[in-house]
This record gives sequence, C-alpha cells and structure tokens, in this order.
Amino acid sequence: MTPPLDRRQFLLGASAIAAGSVLAACSSGSKGTAATSAGAAASGPSVAPASGGAVTTEKISLNYWAWGTPQDPFVAAWNKANPNIQVKHTDAGGGTDSSAKLLTAARAGDAPDAALVEYTTLPAMIVGNVATDITQYVSSLKGSFSEGTWGQTTFNGAIYGVPQDVGPMVLVYNEARFTQLGVKPPTTWAEFATVAEQVRKADKNTYLATFSPAEFGNFAGLSQQAGGQWWKVDGENWTVGINDDASLKVADFWQDLIDRDLVSVEALFTPEYNKQLNAGQILSWPSALWAPGVIYGAAPSQAGKWAMSRFPQWTAGDDKVAYQGGSAVVVTSSAKHPAEAAQFAAFINSSAAGAQIQLSTGQYPASVVGQQAAIKSAPPVLMPQQKDFWKLASEISAQTIPSISWGPNVNVASSTFQDAMKAAIANKTKLRDALAVTQKAVVADMAKTGFKVTG
Amino acid sequence: MTTNSGVSTAVRATELRPLPRARNGRRRNTFAPYVLLSPALLLYAVFLLIPIGYAIYLSFQGLRLVAGGAFGKRQQVFVGFDNYHTTLADPEFYSGFGRLAIYGLIAVPVTLGLALLFALLIDHPKTRAKSFSRTAIFIPYAVPGVVASLLWGFMYLPSTSPFSYISKTMGGGSIPFLNLPLLFPSVANIAIWGGVGFNMIIIYTALRAVPADIYESARIDGASEWQIALRIKIPLVAPALVLTGLFSLIGTLQVYGEPTTLSPMTADITQTWVPLMKIYRDAFTRDDLPLASAASVLLALGIVVVSVLLLLATQRRAFGGNS
Amino acid sequence: MTTTVPTRPAAAPALPAERTSRGSLPTVILLVGALYCLVPVAWVIVASTKTPGELFSTFTFAPGSGLFGNIGDLFDYGNGQFLHWALNSLLYSGGGSALSMLVSTMAGFALAKYEFRGRNLIFFSILGGVLIPGITLAVPQYLLLSDIGLAGTYWSVLLPSIISPFGIYLSRVYAMASVPAETIEAARIDGAGEFRVFTGVAIPMMIPGMVTVFMLQFVGIWNNFLLPFIMLSDQNKYPLTVGLYTLLAKGSGEASLYSLAITGSMLSIIPLVALMLVLQRFWKLDLISGGLKG
Repeated sequence: MTPPLDRRQFLLGASAIAAGSVLAACSSGSKGTAATSAGAAASGPSVAPASGGAVTTEKISLNYWAWGTPQDPFVAAWNKANPNIQVKHTDAGGGTDSSAKLLTAARAGDAPDAALVEYTTLPAMIVGNVATDITQYVSSLKGSFSEGTWGQTTFNGAIYGVPQDVGPMVLVYNEARFTQLGVKPPTTWAEFATVAEQVRKADKNTYLATFSPAEFGNFAGLSQQAGGQWWKVDGENWTVGINDDASLKVADFWQDLIDRDLVSVEALFTPEYNKQLNAGQILSWPSALWAPGVIYGAAPSQAGKWAMSRFPQWTAGDDKVAYQGGSAVVVTSSAKHPAEAAQFAAFINSSAAGAQIQLSTGQYPASVVGQQAAIKSAPPVLMPQQKDFWKLASEISAQTIPSISWGPNVNVASSTFQDAMKAAIANKTKLRDALAVTQKAVVADMAKTGFKVTG
Repeated sequence: MTTNSGVSTAVRATELRPLPRARNGRRRNTFAPYVLLSPALLLYAVFLLIPIGYAIYLSFQGLRLVAGGAFGKRQQVFVGFDNYHTTLADPEFYSGFGRLAIYGLIAVPVTLGLALLFALLIDHPKTRAKSFSRTAIFIPYAVPGVVASLLWGFMYLPSTSPFSYISKTMGGGSIPFLNLPLLFPSVANIAIWGGVGFNMIIIYTALRAVPADIYESARIDGASEWQIALRIKIPLVAPALVLTGLFSLIGTLQVYGEPTTLSPMTADITQTWVPLMKIYRDAFTRDDLPLASAASVLLALGIVVVSVLLLLATQRRAFGGNS
Repeated sequence: MTTTVPTRPAAAPALPAERTSRGSLPTVILLVGALYCLVPVAWVIVASTKTPGELFSTFTFAPGSGLFGNIGDLFDYGNGQFLHWALNSLLYSGGGSALSMLVSTMAGFALAKYEFRGRNLIFFSILGGVLIPGITLAVPQYLLLSDIGLAGTYWSVLLPSIISPFGIYLSRVYAMASVPAETIEAARIDGAGEFRVFTGVAIPMMIPGMVTVFMLQFVGIWNNFLLPFIMLSDQNKYPLTVGLYTLLAKGSGEASLYSLAITGSMLSIIPLVALMLVLQRFWKLDLISGGLKG
C-alpha cells in the first residue's frame, strides 16, 4: 500500500456517509515480482538484472514521464527492440512542474513506472517516497559513468536513479560582439569583472552577463566551485552550509557587479531577456554545456556568433568546475514492473544507441560511452564554427568536482532562495543576507520534518 | 424599489411562498424535488463537500520523519494545530493579505466603475458604435487568464512594450510597469481588462429592463442625460452592482494566475505575493499539502466573513433568499 | 451582432434633433474603452505573424513574415498535439457545460418551485461553494478521483466541471422569474406527473436561462487551467490552456516556445470569440439582474 492508510479510510468513510458512493479499493499491485526480462539483450545495454532469472513472455507496458527532445526517439528505439515491454512517454512538464506532479501522483499510487528527475530534486523525491532504491537492478552500471556523475544518484550507498545528462559548467559568450568590442573571454572571475566593466564602457546598452535571482541551481554551482557545500550528510546527521564562506564570497562578488551596474539584473529567458539576447545586448551566460541549445531556441539568429569557453576560475590556473542542471531517470514507488523500468532507464542512459540519440538532439550524455562518442559529433547549431566544442567539453567534464550532495528539501531551499534574492534586489539589500535567510529556512524545515541537522 | 420590468414582477410574485399546495395533494410532491436535486447534490458532495472535509482533515496532519535516517521516508502524522500556528506566525501570510488588499482596492472599484460607465454610455441615447463597442469590450472575457497575463507581460516589459517604445521615442525612459509603485495598477489592469466586459453586460441588461417612460418624464422635466444617469439609472441598477461587486470581490480574494505568470518577469513579485500563491507554492513546490490546507481553510474563512459582511451591508439583496 | 439585448419595454426616445456635438463625447469615451480592450488582442494577432526571431527583434506592432510557418510548426508540434488540445477543449467545455446546464436546471427548478425540508440549507450550502478557492480543492479532488480510478481520464476533468453553484443559483432565479406557479398547477390539474411538469412545462420556459448557464460554463471550463493541469498527465488529453502552458514552461535546457504559444493563443481565442458573437443573441444575462429586483 503506497498511499497512507488513514487518508484512504478518511475518504472512504466520508464518501460513504456523504454520497454513498463506492470507492474501489486500491490494488497495491504485484510490485517487485521477480520478472526480469532479457528482451533488451539484442540492443546490448550493459545491464545485468540482479536476479537474472525468469524471462517474461507476457506483454507489459511501462509509463515514462520526461521532458526534452531526446525522449521520443529514446522510447521509439526501446520499443522497437523490446516488443514485449512497450514504453509510453508523457511530457508532464519541465523539471519543476514534473516533480510537483510526481509527488502528487505517487501519493495516490498513480505515478509512472519511470520518470526523469533533476539531480537537485532527487533527494526530495526519495524522502517524498517517489524514487525507489534500484541498487539491485543497476549496480553493475557503475563503470558506465564517471565517479562524479554516479555520485549524483547514490545516497547512503543506495542507488536511486540512472544519470541521463549532465551539465558541467562552461561560459558561453557572444564571440562576434566580443571581437567587435575588443574583449576576450575571461578566464578568472577577476577578469570577468574587468570585462564586464569594459563592455559597459564600450556600449552603454550592453551587459556582459545577467544576474538572475531565480537561478538557484546556477548559484549553487558557483558556490560549489568556490568550495562551498550546501548539504553534507554524515551517517544520520545533516550539515547545511548555504551561507558558508565560499557562498558568501560568490554573493559578494555578484553584489559588487550589481552595485556598479556591471551586470543586468533580471530573470533569464523572459521576453525582455530574449529581446536583449537577440539584439546582442547580453554577451554571455555563465552556465552549463546545455546552454547553446537554450540560447539558440530563444535567439536563432545568433547562430554562428557565439562560442563556448572554460568557466572562469577564482585562482588563475585552476580547473575547478561544478555541475549545473542535468537529470536522471528514477523508478517510482508506484511502478508495477520496477525491474523492467530500471532496465529501460539503463538502456536509454548507458547504451551506445541511447548516446547517439542524445547527441543528435543536442543533449550532453552522462555516460562515459556517450561522452566519448560526443567528441566525434558536430558542434551545436549555435556555434558551428567551434570545431573543438565537444573535445573541450569532454576535457571540462573530466574535471568536474565529484561528490555533490543535495539535501532532502531542495524545493524549500530554492523557493526561499528565489524570493529572498528577489527581495534583496527589489529592496537593495545584500545578497549575502538572502543566503542567510535561505539557510535559516532550510535548517528550520529539516528540523521540523525530523532530520538531525546542524547549520 | 419602485419600478418593475416584466421579469422583476414575476420574481416578486413567485418569490413569495408557492401557492398552498394542500388542495392538490402535497404528498405527490414529496419526492420530486429530491429527485431533481439528486445529481447536483451527489456531485456537490463528491467534488466539494468531501474535498473540503479532506482539506480540513489534512490541515491537522504533517509530513514527518518517523523512522529517522538521513534519507528516511516522511509519513503523515497528526500534528494538531501546528500548521495553523506556522501559518499565523508567518509574516508573509499577512503581507500577502496586505498586497491583496491594495490590489483589490484598485481592481474591484475600477472594474465596476468602468463597467458601469460603459454600460451607461451604451445606454446613452446619443452614443454611436454601440454594438461594436459592446462586442469589443466583451472580447477579453474569452481570453484565458494564462494568455492574458502573457500578452500583458509583453505590453509591460521595457524592451517589448509599445508604451515604453512611445515614451522612449518622445525622449523619456521606459515605463517601469512591473516595479513598485506601478506594479499594483499593472497587475490589477489584467483583471480589469478581462472583467469589465462581463460586468458591463450584466449592468447594461439591468438598465435595459427599466421602462423608458421613466426617463421620458425626467427629460420632459428638463433633466440632463447626466442627471438621469446619476439620479435614476444608477440607483435602479444598484442590485446588479451589488452582485457584480460580490463576484469581483470573491475573484479578487482568489487571485493568483496573473501575478504567477508575471512573477518571473519582475523582482517585485515573489512566490508568496498573495495568499493563494503561497498556498500554491506550499502545496506544489514544497510538497507540504497540510500547511497549504491550513492556509486554505483560513483563507476560505476570510472569504466567508468578507462576503457575509458585504451581504449584510447590502441587505442581502443579491441572493434573494426567501426564507 | 445587432439584436443582442432584450428590447426596452417602451421604445427608446429617438430625439434626432439633439444628436449633435453633445453625443460625441460619450461615443469617444466608449471607443477609447473598446480600443483598450482590443489592443492586446490585436497584439496577439500581430505577434502570431512573427517568426521566433522576429518576435524579439522587430517593433511590437510590426507584422512579421512567419504566420504560416508558425501555424505549420504549431500543428506539427508533438505529432499534432495542438489539434488534440483543441478538440479536448471542445469536449470538456461542450460536454461539461451541457451536463452542467441540465443538472443546474433540475436543481434550480426544484429549489425555486418546491417547498421541502432542508431547502434553504441546501440552497445556501451550494451557494457557499462559490467561496472556496479552486486550488484548495484541486488536490483533494485529485486524490479522491485517483482512489476511484478516474484520475488522468477524461472524466476527471468533466465530472468536477458539472457542478456549478453559480449555475444552480442562476437557474433558481430564472425558474422563479419565468415559470409561473399557476402554470404548474394547471398542468397538475390536467393530470401531469412531476416528471411531465418538469420536462413539458418548466424546461420550455427556462430555455433562455439554460442557454445562459451553458454559455457561462462553456467559457469557464474553456478557460480553466488548474483542474486539468492537476488531473491529467497525458498530453493528448490536455485542453488548450494546459497545452499552451506547457509550451511556455519548458524544463531547463529548453527555451520557451513563445511563438508557438502566441500562435496557439490566437487560434484558440478566435473560435471562442466567433462562438460568442453568434450566441450573444441567446445570452440573456438580464436574468441575473432580473432576479435582483426584489
């Protein structure tokens, strides 16, 4: 029984009294019965289902919720290779909407068998009883991913998802305008500030970059690069460090740029931002490898003008890179066929065939095989002139900081962060104070829920 | 009220107790009303009563870690009035009501004022282009709120706003529609734009139900059209104004779509800008349904109190309860 | 669009002699109001002609060159999902409002024309339903429908749309105003049963009111976002509002499809406006105010 009993009893009782309607009892399903299929063997994912036993001959169907362009080709490829395990794909909205719906659906026992989840929300999905432990099905996949990537889906030794894509942080910038204004892509944050100033001097309508109060994941990556660790778990004890020294350093850096009007302050990809992007008035986006596709979507006319470079460093000569974004496929608590769902996740995310689909749709694969294949593929449409794009990408990817830990209430953190940052900007108070507000709210929420937490 | 249209006469007649039915077999009618009401009552129970009851029940629950562990599963447990304490101790909840009040003080009177003005103008004997205007003013009602907010967002943002464009070409700066202090009128404007037409039609049809000979005699007495509007027409449509006012007020208290859509476009709209946005955030972004339920119960109580006060103030005319 | 409103009981005074300069001010004010309402609609139409690039690079009210490209892209999106969404909206709005009209008429007639135990309690309880915010009920409704196995189906959007406290209120007002008690009594004396009284006497007299309830519910369901957003997870069952929203709310790593959403909005507004223009003649909102004259 997945949903809490007391709710069902309440509803049953209430409806019997009030409406006399009969509610069907919930069938908790034949969850986790041995059936594992060898049907996918032909397409050759390196997955070895734990029990390796019975082969299903009956036809089953799986539901899969995910957003993004590679999903339909993924499903088509799997369905072709596995006539007995047919997957149905549903786009339940982007990361935030989708995870909200997953939590509600899982509570009702209606969640799909497999679902795409952002790394940031994965812990919330675990404590919210959406994602289930799939160690027994996918432990053999460990070698298919880099340590840092695999670490994003492993919690306390249990595996809760198969990584699909990752976003090592890079700087994408408007190369044409850079040349025109006579500036070079910054390699350190100090240079970043200098370039920002030069850009403002050269063209008063133009900014080097935008600080968006809504970009929680971006700020987390920046903090991590600076040495911050927002959540840490040691046994049963959590430590929260959203306003640790590294994060405050990042906040103060951007504070200075904002105070001197060297960066614009607004949300990304609003009509306003898109307009400036198209006009060549926003010159860079310090974000992640998936950025070219997003920029191209908002400003197709900019194709050929942009380029990608390594992320600015705090100390010249360093090569520290954090992740921003990226997602993994989880198997949910409502799944009737968890083994097959895990197998599907393994196929799309770790096979060579899956990697080819990802690359053809512009996604940077999480798997080693995919990242190796990427080197040979064409650069993104936004920057066709940058022939070494994927080579550089794989070098950067190899340097990403391993062991990233998100906490069980990232949703509380991100919503508090966004509002506190907005308030800081609207009221002209300090960004570092917004971090303190977030820290306090996160610790209080964890304590209320019953976690052992310090911070 | 001194005048009657055909419709209101009929209402007057039937609003009284139905004719004594004893002579024609009261017994026969015993089941009929219940049978007629049964589908409505069943649906009402299933989709309103039970969910309300469940929301109240949920408001006393909380999602807590029962077994412990760094990644333990949360369970639903009884927490008493915890969620109510949390809600009532949260300054954002009150700030939300404060902002709602400012928004409502703009949206409700302006919607009703414009609706009344347009209705009077269409009813004005010398106005031209009536049916064109009536249709034009009514069209925004057909535009879904999500779309309305998006298109007004385009109208407001400095780079895409035609108003800011005009202002800039005339030498001024862009107009900060989405920043304080213009923010409240800007958000209210979306609701006004969508709601004026509907309310105008209600008021206008009420005006049309007034027999013309009343105006005729006033005109003969030398009253101007303006005087007729002020002294005769407005008092006559007062009940319609009460009804539209009540529904505008309820709509105001439940506002959330417009600011939610505009929220990414400005730093001045947080995710807890009005109470319903906070409820939505708690329920969906934060997965804290019990806390959202407690706030909902409080909000619903607030709406009931405000509505009752309004009805008392207007002598319960609008609902014509005949008990 | 000429005879939309009930005619005045007596002919309006013509007074053509005075139709001079004093009449132009009201006309001007009225036209300004009409302009205010139409400008954003005009913008939607203009913006839908722009390619995604033009949308953010040309002047707001300058027409673009991408109308047919946008429409083509929109109908190609997700294997033709837009058409699904449009048909679903018609199904939810048409089916939901027809059923709502029927249920409301029955309830409204019963509340207006019968005296029975609990009548006022029932009436005011139903009316109280207007006061509860939809968001509050959406999740409990989802959990409930999920328990009876209906979450995610067409029924999960249709069924909750049927119950309309406002519709019942309107029907009651209209029944009170338009069905004389004498007529009912006469039918009963002629030997009609209660079923015949309702179908043969009440319904024909209440048709204008029923049309109003139908139209109000139709627009209400058409514009409803939250209920289908929460209930449905299969995008082929989405109505237009939710579908258009998903075009805007893309996940990280994907840009919002503003052009498609705007083109979709344009296409979804136009049929609704056309429908309203056609049906306005039946749309007798005066029954609302009629009930207020007491």
